[in-house]
Amino acid sequence: MSTRKPHLFELDDGAHIDPGAAPPPPDDETPPQGRAMQAALRAGRVRLSVWARLGWAALAGFVMLVASVTAWDFVTGLLARNAALGYLGLVLLGGVVLAAIWLVAREWAGFRRLRRIDRLRRQAEAARESANRAEADAMLAALGTLYAARPEMRWPIARLRDTAPDQLDTDALIDLGEATLMPPLDAAATREVEAAARQVALLTAMIPLALVDVLAALVTNLRMIRRIAEIYGGRTGTLGNLRLLRGVIAHLVATGAVAVGEDMLGSVASGSMLSKLSRRFGEGVVNGALTARLGIAAMDVCRPLPFTTLQRPRTSAIMSRALTGVFDKAP
Amino acid sequence: MVIGRLADGVLRGVDRVTTTVTDTVSEAFFEPTLRLGVTGLSQAGKTVFITSLVANLLDRGRMGRMQSVAGDRIEAAFLQPQPDDTLPRFDYERHLAALSAQQPRWPDSTRQISQLRLSFRIRPGGLLGGMRGARVQHVDIIDYPGEWLLDLVLLDKDYAQWSREVLGRMSHRPFAADCLSALQATDPAIPHDEGVAQALTEGFTSYLQSARKAGLPDITPGRFLLPGDLAGSPVLTFVPLPEGGGRGSLGREMTRRFEAYKSQVIRPFFRDHFARIDRQVVLADILGAIHAGPEAVDRLGQTLTELLAAFRPGRSAWLTRLLGGKRVERLLFAATKADHLHHSQHPRLTAILTALLRQSRDRADFAGARTEALALAALRATIEEQHIRDGQTLDCVRGTLAESGKQAAFFAGELPADPMQLIGPARDGAARWLEADFQIMRFAPAPLIRKTGDGLPHIRLDTAAEFLIGDLLR
Repeated sequence: MSTRKPHLFELDDGAHIDPGAAPPPPDDETPPQGRAMQAALRAGRVRLSVWARLGWAALAGFVMLVASVTAWDFVTGLLARNAALGYLGLVLLGGVVLAAIWLVAREWAGFRRLRRIDRLRRQAEAARESANRAEADAMLAALGTLYAARPEMRWPIARLRDTAPDQLDTDALIDLGEATLMPPLDAAATREVEAAARQVALLTAMIPLALVDVLAALVTNLRMIRRIAEIYGGRTGTLGNLRLLRGVIAHLVATGAVAVGEDMLGSVASGSMLSKLSRRFGEGVVNGALTARLGIAAMDVCRPLPFTTLQRPRTSAIMSRALTGVFDKAP
Repeated sequence: MVIGRLADGVLRGVDRVTTTVTDTVSEAFFEPTLRLGVTGLSQAGKTVFITSLVANLLDRGRMGRMQSVAGDRIEAAFLQPQPDDTLPRFDYERHLAALSAQQPRWPDSTRQISQLRLSFRIRPGGLLGGMRGARVQHVDIIDYPGEWLLDLVLLDKDYAQWSREVLGRMSHRPFAADCLSALQATDPAIPHDEGVAQALTEGFTSYLQSARKAGLPDITPGRFLLPGDLAGSPVLTFVPLPEGGGRGSLGREMTRRFEAYKSQVIRPFFRDHFARIDRQVVLADILGAIHAGPEAVDRLGQTLTELLAAFRPGRSAWLTRLLGGKRVERLLFAATKADHLHHSQHPRLTAILTALLRQSRDRADFAGARTEALALAALRATIEEQHIRDGQTLDCVRGTLAESGKQAAFFAGELPADPMQLIGPARDGAARWLEADFQIMRFAPAPLIRKTGDGLPHIRLDTAAEFLIGDLLR
């Protein structure tokens, strides 16, 4: 054996130990924690202090100032040297400025769409509170115009227009609106969540690199949230998308759904067997389940009408459908 | 007389078949019962294991690795009076009180057989879960003195073989010299005299006691140490003698008593308590054996292997089960007192246990039983700390020493990464470890601070419980 001999340390500090409170020995078989998704969620939860934000804003402003002044100096200098090249530079600069304006406009439009969804939602809640039928009517009409361009929504909108006058109570009217307009959208959003959960489960189970799987999970989740927002009518830009992610994560934290219970695997059909099969697959399944929860939270946030008559999709149902897909032979 | 014995045997057989059939039928249709066998030599920690298992199944806060606990499937668990009317109840409350007293102490070693029934109400899950009501599952646990267990090995031996083995073993144990010379000086051909027999038995019993003190596990016959109400009866008055002697001689009488001991003491014990076990956990105090020396390790491995040959592992088919032939479906080998060692060495401890019981495990695996080996502590008495000595960081365990009652942190030395470094010398009959440097201090249980809903602190007891009974609680 080795030279490390047994040794007894006499301790007379009088302190008493409590083995019950001591951490259990770390085992290689601790249940999977969904490390990649937890890291991705943490990344989305980072909040900067006021001073830090001010500092970053100042830095960004300064860099942009330097860039624009340098560009301007460069173009005017070029004009003085050679008129033809100078005009070319000027035109190109104009193109850049136009593109920037277009980007800003798109972001702004994205924010506006998000705000419109928010407004519709608030309107629905207010109408339900105050039992103001006119407001509910207006809200449903606005919802109709929002979705008017979509072929799959034409029939539900027409049907709502037919049946709405039969409902006398305001909350019944809003419930009818939810039951008529939302199912096709909910189904599409659920499919998105399933696809994302499956993808995250597979990616985090397959990618052996520690940071890359976090990145993959983050990208997949961002895309899922953007698509869900699109489905419910709030197409966003990049900034809006990030903003949305933060909102969704805040919602998820508020509902306490980020904690990984050991039941998480149990909620998934064959999940426990998967985790016995391989630890990596267990991790993947938990990551997928967390993605599904994030997706449901995103549906909560993006839906113009809150879940009242229709049932919110359940993580376990989404996961079992998502994982059935994993073992299908078709790609 | 012969006819009477035959009839008795037949009646008993019929009785057994009918009880098993009724048991099985009622189990199959109403309330299933599982018999959990807790097997282990004396001082292996059976009583603490059972007490802690029951406490942790009643308060399931620390059993997170059991799926039925994590999935919140157990509605309620409670202690029932045991089903066997003639057996004492396992004194759970007294043992628990000993462990959770102000000055906690290990419970007294078991002196008699006792039984306990734990019943669960389980909420069914799955697709049809909502349509069925809660179901009931009983788990019967049996405690008995570890000394008695050793006798099972005798069932396959006759007197001459047993005598040869025991005398052979005594010949290289210094503390056995007095007893051995007395036995060898006795001529088995002399006429039987009860006085001589009793004097010899006395000497032999004191040899068995010193063998137990030396940490050697092979002390047969076990009832000599814990005779109960059989003390002084002829069936407990015999000694191993060299072969020889005719009718009416001392040797012939000893042979007769040995056979009587087998048929009247061992066989009923085995038939009533071991033949119908479904799941089994084999507890072994590997650390204590390593501390005691190579011979103890070798004897522990051999004794456990011989013992396990008495059980029938494997999957029992429905029909054989109905006809009374139960088999042990799951077998857990557990190295107890793992809290006396830092967790970084637990895998090595498990490896030593596995290597020691390799033969039994292979046999059980081959028969279709599921087997598992792990290091556990039914009651955790220490915490883990690091201390620095001579510039080396040592992974220690800290607790209250059982002897002095003082707080101490202890580094036990390092177990070898290759278990054969221990088992090889043990098999070759080495007198002591050559390069090994390993010791064990006994720790007393720590005063308990229990939160509501939490059982006793443990190490991997939930993993063990999940393996043993987890599938029936889902």
